Amino acid sequence: MALKEKLHTLKEKYRGTKMAPAFNALHTFLYLPNETTHNGTHIKAADDLKRTMNTVILALVPCLLFGMFNAGYQHYAALGQPVDFLSWDSLYIGIIKVLPLVVVSYGVGLAIEFLFAVIKGHEVEEGYLVTGMLVPLIVPIDLPLWMLAVAVAFGVVIGKEVFGGTGMNILNPALTIRAFLFFAYPTWMSGDKVWVHGAVERAGTADAISGETILGSYAQNQEVLYSLSDMFYGFIPGSIGETSKLLIILGGLFLIFTKVGSWRIMLSTIIGALVMGLIFNGVVDAGWIGETSKFYGLMSVPFWQHLIIGSILFGAVYMATDPVTASQTNKGKWIYGFLIGFISIMIRVFNPAYPEGVFLAILLMNVFAPTIDHYVIQANIKKRMKRLKPNVA
Amino acid sequence: MEHVELFFKSIFIDNMVFATFLGMCSYLAVSKKVSTAIGLGAAVIFVLGITVPLNWLLDQYILQEGALAWLGPEFASYDLSFLSFIMFIATIATMVQLVEIVVEKFSPALYNSLGIFLPLIAVNCAILGGSLFMQSREIASLGLAFNYGVSSGIGWFLAILAIAAIREKIRYSSVPAPLRGLGITFIITGLMAIGFMSFGGMLTGGDDAVAKEDSAVEVKIEEEKENKTIADNTAQLIQ
Repeated sequence: MALKEKLHTLKEKYRGTKMAPAFNALHTFLYLPNETTHNGTHIKAADDLKRTMNTVILALVPCLLFGMFNAGYQHYAALGQPVDFLSWDSLYIGIIKVLPLVVVSYGVGLAIEFLFAVIKGHEVEEGYLVTGMLVPLIVPIDLPLWMLAVAVAFGVVIGKEVFGGTGMNILNPALTIRAFLFFAYPTWMSGDKVWVHGAVERAGTADAISGETILGSYAQNQEVLYSLSDMFYGFIPGSIGETSKLLIILGGLFLIFTKVGSWRIMLSTIIGALVMGLIFNGVVDAGWIGETSKFYGLMSVPFWQHLIIGSILFGAVYMATDPVTASQTNKGKWIYGFLIGFISIMIRVFNPAYPEGVFLAILLMNVFAPTIDHYVIQANIKKRMKRLKPNVA
Repeated sequence: MEHVELFFKSIFIDNMVFATFLGMCSYLAVSKKVSTAIGLGAAVIFVLGITVPLNWLLDQYILQEGALAWLGPEFASYDLSFLSFIMFIATIATMVQLVEIVVEKFSPALYNSLGIFLPLIAVNCAILGGSLFMQSREIASLGLAFNYGVSSGIGWFLAILAIAAIREKIRYSSVPAPLRGLGITFIITGLMAIGFMSFGGMLTGGDDAVAKEDSAVEVKIEEEKENKTIADNTAQLIQ
């Protein structure tokens, strides 16, 4: 109680000053404000921005925990001294490697949010809560913390605050941050060395860790080292939070159940990916492409397996469904999601420059989401005008 | 196959706006509303679709080294390529005049909404850029030149359509005052270019594409910072 009262007195003390938003935010992040409006009509609804954001974070926590265990598990497995998955050894690596990423992501991002709120004189918005959680989940584990800090600053300022803050941005901030990292520090963001803790330092030495990724193996027509069930349950190297497809599916179901995430986007993204996978399978079956072709390995992956390798599911569930940057109309959501899945697999197979294209495909469709919406709305207007016309005449 | 490849390449990979940053003036100025953006985009497709093949013919039969051989063997050594700029611009200006007359006659509403920008297509760098790229990339046939013109135009059309829809969407966003207008448009363009990076390196293949990508991106990020300072400066000037 003491903390609550202290926060309350601080809030009262700074009421009306420039710093007020910062203290208001601290108070409402931790406690439910007991102020109510006194006049005018108002709607009492529990699903405010804070609740929505917390739901997504709740859905992400299993992925984060799994990622922490997996970090240590992969590290020791690559060293050749396997430990149990649920052991203190693996969790320890997770704690010393993953938690700092989370802390830096939240620290830098929220500091900038507070700064902007104080300068612009509005309340601190909760939008960064989810972004700050997503960012550590979609980066490689050994990413230096200063790089993350720079990228978060770029993503929050250029990706969001210049548009006026939460709800105004056009690109998903978490993916903007990842794109910045990917293009600015490519050696830390792709390749076969970055996904397991300790692999980068050991490269070139006697006890080097070889961390061939699944997509990399497919692309080079090599034997894949991991079984399908490992891929599904997530005992594979990868970005911290995206390995366990099971937990992502559970998180997705949770989001659909709470109506926070759009099932239309999730479903259509998966359909898009499957369709593109089927097309590639068809090309291989028809014999239009030889076994020597550099695309053969990835094209011949059975279409449904595209869902459990790479990050397409994570993108579909947590990234594409971002309500701000996705299409707003229901019909638009189908088109938007379908194209995300379609283009993701296209980039994955066709683009030798990028091993995985989900984040770029989502960014691209973020760019086109307003266009899709515009046409869906225009079509609706046209349809209704037609319906109206006979009555007028 | 050659046609399909060129088509997708010039729309997505070598997009006029996001890969080469050409045609920015009309792209920035006429993208406030989707309807006018579509009009201008269609005009650009049309003009590019006509001028690129025309200039291809000029290039092949008049300007290139040895192009005049059809007049007789004594002309075979002539190289008139120093005239390409002026010839290309003359073609473009003529065609734009023609488009203007046609649009004024058939769609006065579009003509009014395009206003000064239709004549400005004549000096739109995307149009001249299309012809010059056609020359420097040594497009092999008239059909390919037409394909190249139209598909570059479609790429430009897509870009202006997308940004117009985005600008309509962010009309009610509380963009910080110094960035309103052109400033935020520059930033959006930079962010859109990141989205279009998804196609970079496709079809070209190989590791050298990766290396090229990286340097291109660094340039782009610097460009974005530059854009920001430019925007700040203009904002200050306006004030």
